Amino acid sequence: MTRRSVALFAAAAISLAPAVLRAQDARLDARLDARTRDAVVSLIDSARAEGIPSEPLVQKALEGASKHADGSRILTAVRALSRELGDARAALGPTSTEAEVIAGASALHVGIAPEALAHMRASRAHGSLTVALAVLTDLVARGVPGDTATTVISALASAGAQDAELLRFQQGVERDIAQGATPSAAVGVRAQSAFPSAAPRRTP
Amino acid sequence: MRQHDEFAGKEPDDDILERAVNELRRPLRVNAALFDARVMDELLRTPTGLRERFESLVRPRTFRISPLVAFAAGLLFTVSIAGSVLYVLSSTPPARERTVARTVPGAPMVEFGFAAPHASSVALVGDFNNWDPKATPLRAASTGGVWSVEVPVPPGRHLYAFVVDGKVWRPDPAAPKATGEDFGEPNSALTVADPRGGR
Repeated sequence: MTRRSVALFAAAAISLAPAVLRAQDARLDARLDARTRDAVVSLIDSARAEGIPSEPLVQKALEGASKHADGSRILTAVRALSRELGDARAALGPTSTEAEVIAGASALHVGIAPEALAHMRASRAHGSLTVALAVLTDLVARGVPGDTATTVISALASAGAQDAELLRFQQGVERDIAQGATPSAAVGVRAQSAFPSAAPRRTP
Repeated sequence: MRQHDEFAGKEPDDDILERAVNELRRPLRVNAALFDARVMDELLRTPTGLRERFESLVRPRTFRISPLVAFAAGLLFTVSIAGSVLYVLSSTPPARERTVARTVPGAPMVEFGFAAPHASSVALVGDFNNWDPKATPLRAASTGGVWSVEVPVPPGRHLYAFVVDGKVWRPDPAAPKATGEDFGEPNSALTVADPRGGR
């Protein structure tokens, strides 16, 4: 990238940034009371300064407004999400994409340890972890123990499973659970059949 | 004391008692023919056939009941009817729901479906449309009560829900439920893969 193109990019970013900020403020203006909006904007500004994705915070505030939550509850939720996004970004590394950070925050929200995210990042340094983290989150939300889900999804991700395969894996597990299998058994059987090397080893 | 003096020496109680005992000891004389005739007459008047039984059921009768008991019976009747109606209303599912959220191949478009035969409107809300109930209304199919809409959703993990009749928030019954209901209304989770292929 030449010095001229860098300058052009910087100029474009500087000129577009206020428009983006105004758009965000406009959305919040219309849906939040002034006091809540100011507090949310302050949180968003802090997050943005730390390199944390801000759009999920705006959406969280808008979700609360649509559900008629009071201002303090909206602030609590936005603050918690900001913390989880920051932790996810720290675990996944500064090169992680915004989608990965959002999916990582969801994983942390269901109880996955930051170390597990870092391990997944290390085992898949050059591929996207977005779908893997989303599948991990949804499996845990479905009742699969966190360590089991982490082991299986990490193994699948490091074995080179593609996003479509991970989504099919999740759908299969959910189908098995719906038909009466326990979440742990469903994950184990599916992992064994799809990727024998990725299935969790059973202790004798 | 005066009363005792008036009946002194006559012993009226003993006399009355003796006469009553004698009357009871006297054999009862029954005219057998007349007795049999009265019994048979009574038996014939007793309803035995189907018609007689029906007539006995529909024949007006007069009951005597106190106002308090009548009020209590009326109250019990009203409460039982109201309870039955409330039970039926509460146990009846509001709508049969079926939903399909699928990624349309070749583009990050997702088709959402929601069955609500009795709804007058269904809207999609999520973190891809600012959670705005007016932004993405679903269209009702001509039959079956299934509502659907197809919208672009960027790759990644998203939260969403449906708003029925502008006020009732419903998660997608066919999708994973998202944990962490920050605002009391459950959401569903949707993961959209990057159509360019993600690894």
